[in-house]
Amino acid sequence: MAMGVPIESSPPPGWEREGIDSLLGMFPPGRLSEIVGPRSSGASSLLLALIARITTSGSGEGGGQVAFVDGMDALDPASTAAAGADLSALLWVRCGGRLRVALSAADLLARCPGFALVVLDLDELGPVPASAYIRLQRAVEGTPTTLIVRSERHREGTPASLVLATRRLAPQWMGLRPLTRLAGLRSEISIARSRFHAFSDGGSTGSWTLDWMLSQ
Amino acid sequence: MMRIACLLTTNEPAAHATLLQVALAHSPRVEDVGGGSVYLDAAGLRSLFGDDATLADRLRDAAAAAGITIRVGIAASRIGALAAARFGSGATVVEPGGDAAALATAPLSLLTLSEALATRLSRWGLRTLGELAALPTAGLFERAGAEGVQVQRLARGEDPRPLASWRPEPAFEESVECEWGLETLEPVVERLGELAAHLCGRLGARGLAADGFEWICRLAGSRAHEGALTPAVPLTEATAVTGLLRLALEARPPRGIVEGLTLRARPTRAAPAQESLTDPSRPSPRFLAATMNRLVALVGSDRIGAPALLDSHRPDAVGLGAYASPSPRRNERGESGSGNAPVLALRRLRPPAPAAVTLASGRPVAMRSSRLAGRIVAGVGPWRSSGEWWTPEPWLQDEWDVELADGTLCRLAHDGSAWHIAGIYD
Repeated sequence: MAMGVPIESSPPPGWEREGIDSLLGMFPPGRLSEIVGPRSSGASSLLLALIARITTSGSGEGGGQVAFVDGMDALDPASTAAAGADLSALLWVRCGGRLRVALSAADLLARCPGFALVVLDLDELGPVPASAYIRLQRAVEGTPTTLIVRSERHREGTPASLVLATRRLAPQWMGLRPLTRLAGLRSEISIARSRFHAFSDGGSTGSWTLDWMLSQ
Repeated sequence: MMRIACLLTTNEPAAHATLLQVALAHSPRVEDVGGGSVYLDAAGLRSLFGDDATLADRLRDAAAAAGITIRVGIAASRIGALAAARFGSGATVVEPGGDAAALATAPLSLLTLSEALATRLSRWGLRTLGELAALPTAGLFERAGAEGVQVQRLARGEDPRPLASWRPEPAFEESVECEWGLETLEPVVERLGELAAHLCGRLGARGLAADGFEWICRLAGSRAHEGALTPAVPLTEATAVTGLLRLALEARPPRGIVEGLTLRARPTRAAPAQESLTDPSRPSPRFLAATMNRLVALVGSDRIGAPALLDSHRPDAVGLGAYASPSPRRNERGESGSGNAPVLALRRLRPPAPAAVTLASGRPVAMRSSRLAGRIVAGVGPWRSSGEWWTPEPWLQDEWDVELADGTLCRLAHDGSAWHIAGIYD
C-alpha cells in the first residue's frame, strides 16, 4: 500500500491564487487550445476551474456562457457546481461516445456567436483527423470565443495555439495508517506548446503545481 | 356623468372567470378587482340596453344563463355601486347624486383602511360611512392625515379614480382549414409554417417569444393528431419554429388525411442577449435557436440542455433543464470562480462500468473491467449511502476511492449485488 501523506484541508497547500489565475488567463480567445493528459492527471479539474471562472466572470450580474461538448458523457455536474460554476450558464451536449457527432456539435457551437468558451471533451475518443482541428480553429478565428479540446494525447500537426500538458504527481490522502479519506490530487501543468508565450520548454516559468481538492 | 356597475359573485376562480366574461359582453371597460368582484363602466349603455334598472336585470339574467348567481349595484361611484350590490336587494340602482345617502348606513368595513386608521376610527366610535362623512375635513386631516381625507371622500361617494381597464390575455392560436385534404407531410409543414409566421408576427408585435407550441391536425373521420414541443430557447423566428415542427412531425407523422390545422403558442417574455454593457454577451436567441435545432437533430432532444442537480442523494442524480439564455444571476460572492479552491473533478462513467473486484479482508485489492484493470495500491471506504427505501426503487451503495498501480484514481461502488466503476478522478 502507498504511504499516505497527511495534508491540511484548508487552505490547500501549494495553491497560489496568482498561479492559477495566470494559468486560467492564458487561453487565447479566437484560437484553438488543447489540454492533454492521461487519466487522473488533473486535466478535467483544470477545465472545471476554467468553466467556473468564465461563468462567474461578470461584473456582479452573471458571467459568460459556456458550451460543453461531452464526447464520453463524463461530465459530473456535482463536481462542476462544487468548482464554483454557474450551471445555468452551461450548455451540456452529451454525445454518447460518438466521435463524429462530437466534432459536428463542437463545430456548430463554435460558429454560434455569444459563447465565451466552447469545450470539446474527447477523453479517449479518437483518432481525430487534423483536418477537424483546422476546421474548428477556423470556426473561432476572429471571434471572442475560446475553444478548448481536451484529450488524452496531443496530436502532431494540429493548429492549436496553446497546448497544456497535465501530469499526475501524487494523490493526497488523509491519515497515515490506515488511510481515512482521499483528499485530492497533486498535479503538474506545463506548457507543451505556445504561440504567444516565450516559455515553451516546460521550465520553471512555464509550469504550475496544483493541488486539486476533493469536495465533500 | 359616471355610472359604475358592481358585479359580485362567489369567490371561486371559475365563477370569477365567468363573471368577467359576462361583464365584457356588456361593456368594453371592465375593472377586475378579483375575489368575485368586477366593476364595469355603465355610462353610455342606455341606448344599447335601456336604463340602469334594465341593465342590472339584464346582467343578472346573463349571469344566470352562464350558470352563476350575481348581485348587481349601479351608482355614480365604485364605492356606491359596491354598497348597493352588497347591501341591496340583488339588483339595486342608486340614482345620480344619491351615493352619499346610500352610503350613510354602510359599515366602515366597506372601505380598505390601514390598520392604524381603522383602529383610530374605531376608538373615535365611528361605525358607519355616514358618521365618517360628517366629520369636519380640516380636523380629520390634522388627526388622520391624507389617508383620512381620502377615505372621507369615498364615504361621501366621491371617487375620482378612473376604472383600471382589464383585457383578457390574447390567445396566440391560429387555425386553417384545408379544403383539399393533405396526404403528405410536406404541405402540412408548409401550412404550419404559415401559421407559425402569423403567430410569431403577433408575438413579436408585443415583444414576446414562445416557449412552447401545440398543434392539432384534424384528420378525416373526425380523428385528430395532437402534439407539442418545447424549444430549447424561447423563439420568435418563424423559420426556427417551422424547423422544429418539421422534425417533430417527421418523428411522429399524422396517420391520415389532414383536413384542418391549429397551432398554439405559449407566450413568454424574451430575455435580451445582453442585459447591460458590463455583462458578457450571450448567444443571441436567433443564432442560438438555429444552432439548437441542428444540435437536437444531431444528438437528440434528451441529450442537450443545462445540467441540473436533482434533489436526491442518489449517486449521479442529475437532469437536463432547458438552456434558455439564462437571466442575469447576481454573483453573491462578488468574485470570479477562480476564487474557489481548485476542486478535483470526477469523470463519470455512464453507464457505470461493471467490474470484477478481488477482496482481501473485506477490502478491494485488485479490479478488472473493460475500462480499467490493475492492482489496487491504496483505497479508502466504504462510504455507504442509501435512500428512497419508501419507493419501489430503493438504492444502496458502498463507495470506495482507490488508487491503481498505474496511478489512476477512481471511485468503485458496490450496489449490494455487483461492483462497478462509478467514475475516474481527473
